[in-house]
Amino acid sequence: MNRPAAGRVGVVALRVVRQLKRDRRTIGLIVFAPIVLMILFGYALSGDMSGVHLGLVDGGGHDALRAHLVSIQDFDILRLGSESDAERLISEGRLDGAAVLGPDGVRVLLDASSLQISGAIVAAVQAGTATERAGQETTGRTKGAESAFVSRYIFGYDLKMMDTVGPAILGLVVFFFTFINAAIAFIRERSQGTLEKFMVSPLSRVEMVSGYVLGFSLFTILQSATTLFVVTTLFGVPLRGSPLTAMAVVLLLGAGALVLGAFFSNFARSEFQVVQFIPLIITPQIVLCGIWWPLQSVPEFIRPFSYMLPLTYAAHALRAVMLKGAGVADILYPDLLALGIFFLIFFAAATLMLRREVA
Amino acid sequence: MREIEPAISARGVTKSFGRQRVLDSLTVDIPSGVTYCLLGPNGSGKTTFIRAIVRLLRLDGGEMSVLGRPVSEVDKIYSKIGYMTQHKALYPDLTVQENMEFYAGLYGLKKQQREARLEELLEMVDLSLHRSRLAGALSGGMYQRLSLACTLIHEPELLLLDEPTVGVDPRLRQTFWEYFNRLAGEGKTVLITTHLMDEAEKCRMVGYMRAGRMVAEGTPEEILHLAGLRPILKLWLAEPERDAAQLQAQGYEIEVEDGVVQVRLESHAQIKEVLTSVSPLDMRLAEPKLEEAFLRLSEAT
Ligand SMILES: Nc1ncnc2c1ncn2[C@@H]1O[C@H](COP(=O)(O)OP(=O)(O)OP(=O)(O)O)[C@@H](O)[C@H]1O
Ligand SMILES: [Mg+2]
Repeated sequence: MNRPAAGRVGVVALRVVRQLKRDRRTIGLIVFAPIVLMILFGYALSGDMSGVHLGLVDGGGHDALRAHLVSIQDFDILRLGSESDAERLISEGRLDGAAVLGPDGVRVLLDASSLQISGAIVAAVQAGTATERAGQETTGRTKGAESAFVSRYIFGYDLKMMDTVGPAILGLVVFFFTFINAAIAFIRERSQGTLEKFMVSPLSRVEMVSGYVLGFSLFTILQSATTLFVVTTLFGVPLRGSPLTAMAVVLLLGAGALVLGAFFSNFARSEFQVVQFIPLIITPQIVLCGIWWPLQSVPEFIRPFSYMLPLTYAAHALRAVMLKGAGVADILYPDLLALGIFFLIFFAAATLMLRREVA
Repeated sequence: MREIEPAISARGVTKSFGRQRVLDSLTVDIPSGVTYCLLGPNGSGKTTFIRAIVRLLRLDGGEMSVLGRPVSEVDKIYSKIGYMTQHKALYPDLTVQENMEFYAGLYGLKKQQREARLEELLEMVDLSLHRSRLAGALSGGMYQRLSLACTLIHEPELLLLDEPTVGVDPRLRQTFWEYFNRLAGEGKTVLITTHLMDEAEKCRMVGYMRAGRMVAEGTPEEILHLAGLRPILKLWLAEPERDAAQLQAQGYEIEVEDGVVQVRLESHAQIKEVLTSVSPLDMRLAEPKLEEAFLRLSEAT
């Protein structure tokens, strides 16, 4: 193979842009689908999160208190694995507080930004410990001071649902469209016979895939710009960080989605079969990326899987950039690193799968 | 007649798909600087052979060299090869000109050179007036013509054209063949597959494949001779029986059918001799058909 040449990469990119530009429906989808989705989610999820979101880290030994907390109608209980998970979710504004139950006592973590809700949580835990103590007295075991609880304040946000979901939807939309469009484009290269012609030309496989990444990136920029605009102006989601940082995250995610699509196109014979990948590739990402419910509440055995999905990192990074004003340095590890690794793995896989020799 | 170094040389080339043997120890030399026509029924392995030349598939056995290099190194000389696939490789959502520009770009043609080539080829395939139409909106034959133009854009030394004239009208086919022969005259090698015998006759060399083997190979004249086919002179005579007997006595091979006397000629020079012995009311010369030659040759094997 020849050394990769920027010229040939550019030629492929220009062609991809010309094709996409001509495809009005795809352009329409790229620009308007995010807006429609946003409006849909915006209405469905607008307003404050109702109820009190309380994390529960159950280390055992406080059955009565736990039963009491769970029985409270107003409380939305989220079971978590560790105290640090609880801390993080509170600081991200996704929990109002958390109760950490353990043999060595009870600790209550509270969000300092909403004192009213903190008061309600404290009252509930107090009532629960009281019942617990009453139970212990009737069975004759008195532990007294051990049942008292410690409370600690953490500084979080008081967020609307749209604020947490909005940034992630940006990632989701880009991932979805790039994956599908790329997979279909590669299927067509195959069925049109143009792939066979490429193989017998100075264009290398690396150049071809790179050309696609470059061409699609221009559309990803267009798409993320419109989506960012809608999220921030129509839905008032804060954009505390730089839009360029957000764009960088989306571009890296889009590049990953493209090479993933190119890779999976090898397993589909037609455009129709590409559509059948949606449940397999897209749905798990939506469910497991932490948009709708925090990763910390995903069952332990599935959680490692969440950490393998690019959308998980993109959603996390976008949220950090938009809500907390994070810069590139803040999201470098693990988010950008993970997205970069994902891209490289599937870039290599997609390139290797474009084999010249048959059989 | 043959050049010392063939453009393509295959020795005992074998390829199977599953249990089906598609190339069966095929041995063939394609000289450089000629138009070479590969003929054969559907499924005889023509496309497979071409794909093996550009290493789109790996051979099971045998040896092959392309432009003086072993086939394993053919990827180093892709810029010298123009490959027109049987399923025409174009982007239907790009215009005629955009398709050509794309392929020109892949081969690194500079702007000036690209524009000159583009004009020349658009002229040749007669698509100048349609340059801004989408390829997908072209007629079947036009699509074919565009595909050919894209294959020729980088002035390849070796052209591998898999059925380039399917659906192209006779006038343009004539232009194409003139162009191919001109390229061969410039020292380029043009390997073409076709199902049209009249096209085969325009080639310097023809090869007839059947079930992955080369049945017969040579110039069109050599093939006819090999099959024992000769021109036939048909004579309408006032007294057919008498004249037939006389010609037979002179040593001609004669057949009488519906009162028409048919003379099998050794060469066209014999026509004059025949006409000194008899004075026909009317006559017609039937040239042997390459098609018939191949039918005979493939029956014989
Ligand atoms: N990739 C493949 N996998 C399996 N079988 C194949 C493959 N390519 C070709 N064949 C088989 O090999 C045989 C020869 O095919 P090939 O395309 O070379 O024929 P051809 O001479 O070009 O025919 P046509 O005149 O119809 O173009 C056919 O029987 C075909 O089914
Ligand atoms: Mg064929």
